Amino acid sequence: MGAAAGSGTVGRGRAYLRKRFQKFVTNRIPASRVVTLNQRRIFIFPNRVGLFFGICLMVMLLAAINFQNNLSYGLTFLLATLFIVTVLHTYSNLSGLTLRAVHAKPAFPGQQTEFELQLECSRQKEHVGIYLKWPGSNASTINLVDVTQLRVQLHAPVGKARGWYSPGRLLIESSYPLGLLRCWSWVDMDLKALVYPRPVPSGDLPGLAAEHPDGASVPIEGSDDFYGFRDYREGDSLRQIYWKGLARGQSVQVKQYAAYADRSVWLDWELFAGIGTEQRLSHLCYWALEFDKAGDEYGLRLPAVSIAPDCGERHKEQVLRALALHGIEDSGQ
Amino acid sequence: MKAQQQIPRNALVWIILSMFTLVLPHIERIPPWVLAVYCFAALWRTLVYRGRWSFPRWPVKLGLILAGFAGIMLSFSSLVGLESTVALLLTAFALKLLESAKRKDAYVLLFLGYFVIMTEFLFSQDLLIVLLCLLNVVIITTGLVALHRPGDNRFSMRPLKQATFMVAQSVPLMLVLFFLFPRFGPLWTVPIKSQQAKTGMSEFMSPGDVSRLSRSGAVAFRVEFDGDIPPRSQLYWRGLVMSRLQQGTWSALNFYEAPASERRQTEPDTVGDPLRYSVILEPTQQRWLYSLRYARSADSGIMSSSDYRLFRPIVIEDDYMYQVRSWPQARLEENLSDWRRKTELALPGSDNPRARALAAEFAAEAANPAQVVDRVLQMYTREPFVYTLQPTLLPERDAMDAFLFDTRRGFCEHYASSFVVLMRAAGIPARVVAGYQGGEVNPVNRTVIVHQFDAHAWAEVWLEGEGWVRVDPTAAVSPERIELGLEDAMSEEGSFLADSPLSLLRYRNINIINMMRLRYDALTYRWQAWVVGFDSDTQFDLLHEFFGEFTARKFAAVLLGSGALVLAPLGLVLLFRRRIHALSKLDKLYLNFCQRLGKMGVEREPGEAPDAFASRAQKSLPRLANNIADVTRRYNALAYAPSDSTEVDLSEFAQTVRSVS
Repeated sequence: MGAAAGSGTVGRGRAYLRKRFQKFVTNRIPASRVVTLNQRRIFIFPNRVGLFFGICLMVMLLAAINFQNNLSYGLTFLLATLFIVTVLHTYSNLSGLTLRAVHAKPAFPGQQTEFELQLECSRQKEHVGIYLKWPGSNASTINLVDVTQLRVQLHAPVGKARGWYSPGRLLIESSYPLGLLRCWSWVDMDLKALVYPRPVPSGDLPGLAAEHPDGASVPIEGSDDFYGFRDYREGDSLRQIYWKGLARGQSVQVKQYAAYADRSVWLDWELFAGIGTEQRLSHLCYWALEFDKAGDEYGLRLPAVSIAPDCGERHKEQVLRALALHGIEDSGQ
Repeated sequence: MKAQQQIPRNALVWIILSMFTLVLPHIERIPPWVLAVYCFAALWRTLVYRGRWSFPRWPVKLGLILAGFAGIMLSFSSLVGLESTVALLLTAFALKLLESAKRKDAYVLLFLGYFVIMTEFLFSQDLLIVLLCLLNVVIITTGLVALHRPGDNRFSMRPLKQATFMVAQSVPLMLVLFFLFPRFGPLWTVPIKSQQAKTGMSEFMSPGDVSRLSRSGAVAFRVEFDGDIPPRSQLYWRGLVMSRLQQGTWSALNFYEAPASERRQTEPDTVGDPLRYSVILEPTQQRWLYSLRYARSADSGIMSSSDYRLFRPIVIEDDYMYQVRSWPQARLEENLSDWRRKTELALPGSDNPRARALAAEFAAEAANPAQVVDRVLQMYTREPFVYTLQPTLLPERDAMDAFLFDTRRGFCEHYASSFVVLMRAAGIPARVVAGYQGGEVNPVNRTVIVHQFDAHAWAEVWLEGEGWVRVDPTAAVSPERIELGLEDAMSEEGSFLADSPLSLLRYRNINIINMMRLRYDALTYRWQAWVVGFDSDTQFDLLHEFFGEFTARKFAAVLLGSGALVLAPLGLVLLFRRRIHALSKLDKLYLNFCQRLGKMGVEREPGEAPDAFASRAQKSLPRLANNIADVTRRYNALAYAPSDSTEVDLSEFAQTVRSVS
């Protein structure tokens, strides 16, 4: 009983400390899309290796004292001073490094998203062994040597909820040159990934059949309704590109399915009347993806947004974005 | 995370390199098999790195460790002691390399390397060795740097540059710490260098011992006089006083072998100014110190014996510096105690009958002891005695008889020994003194360099009213030895340093080599006086000289102040380095333009092309559409112009940029 109560107190205490630390970091390093690391943002402290090195130095000092050996004193002091000089070098390795948020790829719930950063060195020096990681993301260690800027992609799973996903604070760490000290910073890159609604299939598309009788049966690619080729235009679905022709060395061409040209479908908010908001969005998302897969034209009608029927990658992104941000303020990119 | 924990290939190359440079200064004191283990480990690790072999499994590792221990037990017959510890460290270094796969193994390996460097200093503090060790520090630090450059998969010198830079930056503060850090006495006793050979004079002297020593060109000690250097013939460096003769071998009386009442010396009257000098003795593994007679030292830890020599209770394992004052004219022990007289007259047994008879004859004919001394010296001069480094081997029994009457070829110990035997047989207290005679004056820094070949033995006789008087029978046989040195005394025989053809001393006649040798020796002296011999006394004097009375507060202030002084410039250099790619004037102007638009709410994205930015900006700021288009057009034209932009073009461009507001 007592132990449980005690651990509860400890847990609360820890949570409190964590909250205080978060607040401290937030105040000290506010969110920004461009961050240059400087003394306000960099923390530095000896790590385990540094501690081990310190113990080694103590042993060496003891040996110097016991053997009354001046050169051993000299070596010990040289290494101790090296440790001190390393503080400056380790700090200098991180300081002056500029991080820019480039973009974050949208993703479906539970999937991996890609965050892209650009690192730039602003002064005449190299930045070596920079370790980058968001909580939950994979880590990347990069060297900015002989280049002044470098792009880094980190992958992290997004949350379950649609809308904007923020990965939290980015950890930038380095122990170059001697590994005796850990030099790090937690920066909020103000980088958010868009999370689409989870696509959930519904039995059929209610109400659609009445308006467009032949739209109910979802067409499959490669049906007889193939019409011909035309030159590729930006925004065309990759699926419609005539890859075989491209492989033969012809220009980029797109297969056209004329039969679908007049079958434009409106995905309407009201199609799924009577069910919850998230459920509706999930179904709409599912159908949008289905139509896109078939190369069909489709439009979206939400209470606040209306997107005219069209097809192609850009259109799909527009539709999914509208679905993802339904009821959410568009404060992202 | 995984990739970060691996050892980059470049680091591995540096580590293997460091392992060989580390063993270099130790090479003379480790058994050869340790080197074999080294090569084997390096080869194996290289094959692992090439992907041909794999890391050893644990039974193999265990076997190697046990074999290593067993090898050291066999080679040194003990695990305690410095040499075996060093061999153990080096073996451990090689074996650790074999299993180093991760970064944390490399840390252990490299820190071990720093320890190995330190052990070298316990054996030698020679200037060249220290430079080699400094190089080793740089190489190990290079290994550490290379370890933290992920992705360096080729051998590269870059980490070396960084490490050299860092070590060089550490030197100033190291010097501050070195001179300011308080020196304590040892906290506990430590293993001594049991295997180290004793050098120089030994405690016992039998015919042939000194001549053997005279083959070495090594330095015994260096002396710096405060004032003029006395003439060479006066430089008799007393080390041991040998009063006991047993089976033809002379030996010194131990401090505790004298009765308690005889242990304190009777202090002679000192008149006039003493000679003041400091001596830096090379490690001898013995306890006694060398000085001119009559010597006193105020240094802590130096004691005087009743036969007027200086010694230390602790064995001299490192270069040792001491200050001495000597009064050469002082009369030593004018009143001889009964015990002392008995000791200095003892001639046990009944060997050397012819010598005894001769001495009795001299004593009967002479009016006083001084005449006996003269008779004997005359005998050495008149009879065909030869001073040689290659004396005829003497028989075990009646050796002095054989020397005095048959062979008559001998080195200083023969003359000193036979002289003292004759004196004692004649009833005159006498003893053998062993040490060095003469020395080479280094013109570079006016120090006297005393070499092993300056080793010498002479005699002291006690005369009523004069005390102990120095008599050197060698001077009677070969005056050149005393006036000019061994090399000149042996010039006909050609036996000087016959065993060391490479010794620089043999080439003293080649001026440039000799000058280089003397300069290096002067440097060594300075090094020994300032670094190796730096102790709490020197430290106290130094601090006192600079800062007056030294309080704890002053100490802290000096330490912190000098630390800050030394580190501040370094910090400035590191943190405020100049921008590299100094932007061209054109780019600066364009960035100025971007800033202007940025203030109006249109920020240029990273990597956004000027055209793309312009079209975006024009949409947001239709009012400035024309200006924006103008600036962008001009910028593109200038930036991608085939020839360099002229000043006129730039100033026009500057105007267009300024018009954007």
